[in-house]
Amino acid sequence: MAPIIRIVNLTKKFGDFTAVDHLNLEVEEGEILGILGPNGAGKTTTLLMLTTVIKPTEGTAYIGSYDVTKEPDKARTLVGMAFQEPKLLWVDSPWDILNWHAKVCGLTPDERRKRVRWVLEELELWNDRFKSVHAFSGGMRKRVEIAKILIQRPKIAIVDEPTAQVDVVGKHRIWNMLRDLRYEGSTILLATNELYEADALSDRVAIMHKGKLLVCDEPKKLKDSIPGGDVVEITLEKDASDKVLEELKEIPRVANVLAIKQNHLKIYLNQAEEVLPKITEFFMRMNVQVRSIRMSEPSLDDVFAHYTGLTIEEAQRE
Amino acid sequence: MTSLRKVWVVAERDIKMFLRYKFLLIMRAIWFVSQIALFGLIVNHMFQTDVQAAVGGSYFNYYAAGIIIAMLYSTTVFIGYDIYEEADHGVVEYLLSVPVSRKELVLGRSVGGGLRSFLYVGPMMLFILYLIGISNPLQLLVALLSLFLFAFGVAGFSITLAVSIKSSDRFDILMGVIDALIVRLSTTLYPIAYMPPYYKGVALINPLTFAADFFRWGAGLESAASVPPILAAFGIVAFSSIFTFLGIVLHERRLEGGGWR
Repeated sequence: MAPIIRIVNLTKKFGDFTAVDHLNLEVEEGEILGILGPNGAGKTTTLLMLTTVIKPTEGTAYIGSYDVTKEPDKARTLVGMAFQEPKLLWVDSPWDILNWHAKVCGLTPDERRKRVRWVLEELELWNDRFKSVHAFSGGMRKRVEIAKILIQRPKIAIVDEPTAQVDVVGKHRIWNMLRDLRYEGSTILLATNELYEADALSDRVAIMHKGKLLVCDEPKKLKDSIPGGDVVEITLEKDASDKVLEELKEIPRVANVLAIKQNHLKIYLNQAEEVLPKITEFFMRMNVQVRSIRMSEPSLDDVFAHYTGLTIEEAQRE
Repeated sequence: MTSLRKVWVVAERDIKMFLRYKFLLIMRAIWFVSQIALFGLIVNHMFQTDVQAAVGGSYFNYYAAGIIIAMLYSTTVFIGYDIYEEADHGVVEYLLSVPVSRKELVLGRSVGGGLRSFLYVGPMMLFILYLIGISNPLQLLVALLSLFLFAFGVAGFSITLAVSIKSSDRFDILMGVIDALIVRLSTTLYPIAYMPPYYKGVALINPLTFAADFFRWGAGLESAASVPPILAAFGIVAFSSIFTFLGIVLHERRLEGGGWR
């Protein structure tokens, strides 16, 4: 079956700055594809090109069979987007915003009435439906933004950091609603910098950094692909010198060492149960006291770190 | 959904949005009342009989018909300010992402921008017509239809300028200057006969002159109109067509490329 989204060499430059750099990616119908990356990775710019809000500098993307550069009007009929920053005027009320959105998306008056009410109730906005969004908290505004997509139920739903600023209960509710949207037939493109969100929701995850696609696969396969399938996090009583780090890498079956801080190390290794005693012995020999040891499964952050040498948090700060 | 329906849905949004700016609506109404009840009446007393004769018998009637056009113009250009407000809140991106074509979007905004000010100015217009008196209802209906077309053109004009100038401050200053020139170099406030010759040329191709004279013709003040009604109607159609076209082209070029950022 042909992919529902096909991105071909998609590039966007703002002056000398390349926001998206020759991106190639395919999305299958009915899947949830997470696009993971720190702020500035090019996720939002990619999504804006797919929704035809901005034009690519080079390359193109096909939404269904429509080329976004040649048939943007037709491409837009298949796509709906919930933006990262809620797009609301201060004088608007959720009721007005969502009713107009439903209307412009072609819902009949009956569908509109039912769906707007259902979504407002599900997102706990029903009682505040006539209030100006000016008085809303960031989380409430975000819920109004996500409500648009839930009302529209587009063929391709594009959601940009859907749960940023939303509390934990709200996050789970939105995740469940996005899953329901997929079961009803939508393909979902989810841009996020939250590792857990990408892991929990996505069938596949595309990791972007500095406008480029680093890798795209199922979360499990991505995690399994890291050399050194086990992760050991060690906190030391004092900072480890560069010499210590270098020697640590020389221990057999240690694949990589990432210094989150100089006294907080993440060690990627194989057969942890055999290597761990050697590591503790090594630190004792080097006269560096170990404060704590924690073993964990590799996360998408580890995948990101494997490809960039940085955690997402560090990349965010860059 | 048909294309026409989409245009209407976009227009409807702008109309509803306008009604929420209560402060603006009240202030504009006060401005109108002061123009008629203070300026119009006082200046009318200043003019001699020969001046009154040159404007069809009553300067007050001439002025009242003109000021309603100035009011329609200044209310309609507000759509440009809406675009800046929307750009500030990211709503431009949202509007570019909804399933309507760019043409439908700009046409809808022009129709909405024109219709909302037409509806707002409508009661004041009726009041003016009551003061002037209506001699030919059919003639008036034609004039009102073309005034809607004029408002539609002004909305296109305002959208064109708003998407061409990225700074809202510059837009505000420019609109102030244009307002001063376009109103004063037209027949909204005074007849062309009293203008120096070098101003007459500009006044005769000014869309506000077309609109004011066509409205006067519709209201039965034919003798006060400087431009023949056919020419005025043609001028209004040309003005609306040019700025609707420019609005569509520039909206796509300036906004879609990410140009509002």
